[in-house]
Amino acid sequence: MELHLGLSLPTNPFLPIGYELKQCPFDAHVNDGAGGCSSSVGGGGKKRTCFDDETRVVPKTLPLLLWNNDQPNEEDDPNDLHDNFSSSSSSILKDDGEGLVGWPPVKAWRKKLRRNVHSGRPNNNRMVAATTAAKCGSTYVKVKMEGNAIARKIDISVHRSFESLTATLMRMFDICDEHLQKSFKIAYQDREGDWLLAEDVPWRTFIRCLKCIKLIRSGC
Amino acid sequence: MRKKIMYSFPDEVLEHVFSFIQSDKDRNAVSVVCKSWCEIERWCRRKVFIGNCYAVSPRMVIKRFPEVRSIELKGKPHFADFNLVPDGWGGYVLPWIVEMAGAYPWLEEIRLKRMVVTDESLELIAKSFKNFKVLVLFSCEGFSTDGLAAIAAGCKNLRELDLRESEVDDLSGHWLRHFPETCTSLLSLNISCLGSDEVSVSALERLVGRCPNLKSLRLNRGVTVDKIANILHRAPQLVDFGTGSYSAELRPDVLLNLAGAFSCCKELKSLSGFWDVVPAYLPALYSVCSRLTSLNLSYATIQNPEIIKLVSNCPNLQRLLVLDYIEDSGLEALASSCKDLQELRVFPSDPFGAEPHVSLTEQGLVAVSLGCPKLQSVLYFCRRMTNAALVTIAQNSPNFTRFRLCIIEPKTADYLTLEPLDVGFGAIVEHCKDLRRLSLSGLLTDRVFEYIGTYAKKLEMLSVAFAGDSDLGLHHVLSGCESLRKLEIRDCPFGDKALLANAAKLETMRSLWMSSCTVSFGACKLIGLKMPRLNVEVIDETEPPDSRPESCPVEKLYIYRSVSGPRFDMPPFVWTMDEERKVMH
Repeated sequence: MELHLGLSLPTNPFLPIGYELKQCPFDAHVNDGAGGCSSSVGGGGKKRTCFDDETRVVPKTLPLLLWNNDQPNEEDDPNDLHDNFSSSSSSILKDDGEGLVGWPPVKAWRKKLRRNVHSGRPNNNRMVAATTAAKCGSTYVKVKMEGNAIARKIDISVHRSFESLTATLMRMFDICDEHLQKSFKIAYQDREGDWLLAEDVPWRTFIRCLKCIKLIRSGC
Repeated sequence: MRKKIMYSFPDEVLEHVFSFIQSDKDRNAVSVVCKSWCEIERWCRRKVFIGNCYAVSPRMVIKRFPEVRSIELKGKPHFADFNLVPDGWGGYVLPWIVEMAGAYPWLEEIRLKRMVVTDESLELIAKSFKNFKVLVLFSCEGFSTDGLAAIAAGCKNLRELDLRESEVDDLSGHWLRHFPETCTSLLSLNISCLGSDEVSVSALERLVGRCPNLKSLRLNRGVTVDKIANILHRAPQLVDFGTGSYSAELRPDVLLNLAGAFSCCKELKSLSGFWDVVPAYLPALYSVCSRLTSLNLSYATIQNPEIIKLVSNCPNLQRLLVLDYIEDSGLEALASSCKDLQELRVFPSDPFGAEPHVSLTEQGLVAVSLGCPKLQSVLYFCRRMTNAALVTIAQNSPNFTRFRLCIIEPKTADYLTLEPLDVGFGAIVEHCKDLRRLSLSGLLTDRVFEYIGTYAKKLEMLSVAFAGDSDLGLHHVLSGCESLRKLEIRDCPFGDKALLANAAKLETMRSLWMSSCTVSFGACKLIGLKMPRLNVEVIDETEPPDSRPESCPVEKLYIYRSVSGPRFDMPPFVWTMDEERKVMH
C-alpha cells in the first residue's frame, strides 16, 4: 500500500491564470496512522526516508504555470512544428568529427573494448579511428594527473608544441614550483590503448594518435 | 475483575518479526505505521539503498539508521554512461566513507554505482570496517590498483570484490598479491574491467586455489586462453565464469585441456568475457552449454554460423547478451532453441558506421518475441523498424518489464510507411502493463507521449532522445505516468511550459535530466526558487548561464529531489540556487 503525502499533483486545469505558488505548512502526519512518522514525498519510489526530528513542513505545491489544454503552442513559431529534421540545440553537441556526443548510447567501456573489432575491414578501421577521436569530444582531450582523482579536459587544437601544452598543464594543475614542474612527464594513451611518453614522439605524431593524457611523476 | 488486554508486543518481539522483512519498500511501510514501530524499525534496519547520493546527507542517514551493515549508493545520472555528464560533476563517495567510518564500525557491504571512488576512500574502507565483506564498484572511477591492494590486504573477511565496468588506473598487477595467504573467504571476484597486462596470473591462480567457496570469477582481458584451464581446475565449483581474452594461436593440446577443464565445472551456469575470440576455441564450451542460463557474448566478435551453433546448444538459456553479428538468422535460431529466454541484449558492432554491414533488422526481434514466451527484458540496437513489427512484438510479449529500443540513426521513420513510430511504441505501452523501463528512438511525435501518459502506469524509467514536437509531449509524460521515478531526455523540443506546469511532479521522482532541450535559464531559476526540496542544477561548460538573457535555453539540466539541500561539492560549471534562494551561482 503506497502512502501519498502532501504533494498533490495538479489535476484541475481550471484555476485562474496567475495563481501563485503558496507554501502551506501542515502537520505532516500520516493520514490514517496514529500520528507517527511520515514519509517524505510519495509516488512510486521505494526510497522514502523518514526523519523523526526534522521539521516536517510539507508544502502543498501548485503548478508554477497552468497548463492550458487548448493549443498551448499557438504562439510557437509554426515552423518549429513542421521542422522535424533540425534541432538547433543539438548542434551544440555536434563536434567537429562526425556524429553526436553520446549517440548511439553505447557505453564508452564497450567502445573502448571493441576497438579491435574491425581487423580485416580496412575501410571500417579508418572510420572507427576517425570517429573515435571525434567521440572524445572533438579536440578536447581528457587529462589526468597522477595522484589526482579529478580528470580535466583541454582543447588540444590550441597548442602547436609540447612547450605550450606543458605550460598549460602546469597552470591547470597549479604546479607553480619550477623544480616540481620538472619532475613531471607527459604520458599519453594512443588509440590502440597503449601508454607512451610524449617526449619520445614528434608533435605531429602525438596529436594524431592522442586519446588522453596523463601527467606522471618521473621516478628517481 | 479487570481484563488486561495487551495491545502491543514487546519491542524484542516486533524486532524479531521485522527481521523477516527485507525489502526497502516493506521496511518503509512498516516505519510509517506508528511512532513506536518507526523507532523499533530504525534500530534494526541493516540495509539502506540510496538511489541518489545527493538526495540525503550521510549524517541524516546515520542519525536515522544507527545500525546499518549494508549500504548501496548511486551517484551520477545514467546519461553519464554516454559522456553527457562532464568530468568533475560530482558523485564523490569519500564524504560518505568518512562519516560511516565513525558511525558504522561493523559495516559489511558497500555497493556503489557511477561514483567517484579514490584510493583514499578504499584505504579508509580497509582500515575502518573490521568485518568488511562486500565491495561492488559498478561503473565507478577515480581509483587505482593501489586502492585495490589496500582492500585486498586490509579486509580479512572479504567475500566479494566486484569492479564491473569501472575505470581503474592500472598501476601494477601485483595488487593481487596483497591478498594474504590466509584469505580463503572469497565468493566472488570480478576484475574484468582491468587493463590488458596488469594482473599477476600466478597470484590469481593461488588465490583461486585457496578459496573453496569461490562461485563467481570474471577475469580480465590480460588472461589468455591457455591460462584458463589451470584456473578452472582450481575452481571446479564455479557457477559464473568470465574468460579473459579468448584468443591464442590454435594448439590442439590447449584446446583439449580447455575442454577438459570446462567439463569439470558441473555447476557452471553463466559465462562471459570472450574478448578477441578465436572461433576454433569455442568447441571447448560445448560441454557446459546444456547447463548455461546466462551467456554474454557482447565482446565476442564471432559471427554466424559459430554464434548459431553455440546458442542452439543452450536450451536452458535465460539471458543472452550478443553483438549484432547474430543477425536475424541467429535470432530465429535462438527463438527456436531457447524457450526459457527472459532477457536479450543485442549491441551494435559498428555503432558509428553509416551503412549496416550485418543483416539485423526488426525481423530478428519479432522472431524472438514470437518464439520466447518468457521474454521480459530487451535492449536492441538496430537500424530499421516498423510500426507493424512493434505492434506484433507488443502482442507477442505482454510480459515485458524492460523495453529499450535504439534505432541507430536519430529520427528514423517506419521504413515501410515512412510514418513516425508512435503507434508502434503505443502498442508496447498498451499491451505491456507491467512495463517499468522504456527507451524510445526513431521518428516520434507528441502522440507517442500521449500513449505513454495514458497507458504506462507502472513505468518507472523513461529515456527519450530526438523525439516529440512540443511541450505537450513532456506534459503527457509528467502528468500521466504515475510511477515515474527517472526521466532522462536529450535533444527534444521540450521547454518551460510543461516543466513549470508539472513542477510538483518532480518532487515525486528521483530525478530529471534534460540536455539540448529548450528549457530556459529563467525557468530553472523559478523552479529552484519555488521548490526548495528540489536541487536544480544547470550544467554549462562554455560560459555562465547568467551571462546570457534569461530566456536562453540551458545546455544541460539536472533536477533531483533532496532533503539535504544544495550540495557543496559542485564544480564551477554547475549552477544552482544558493542558500538564500536568491541567485543562481
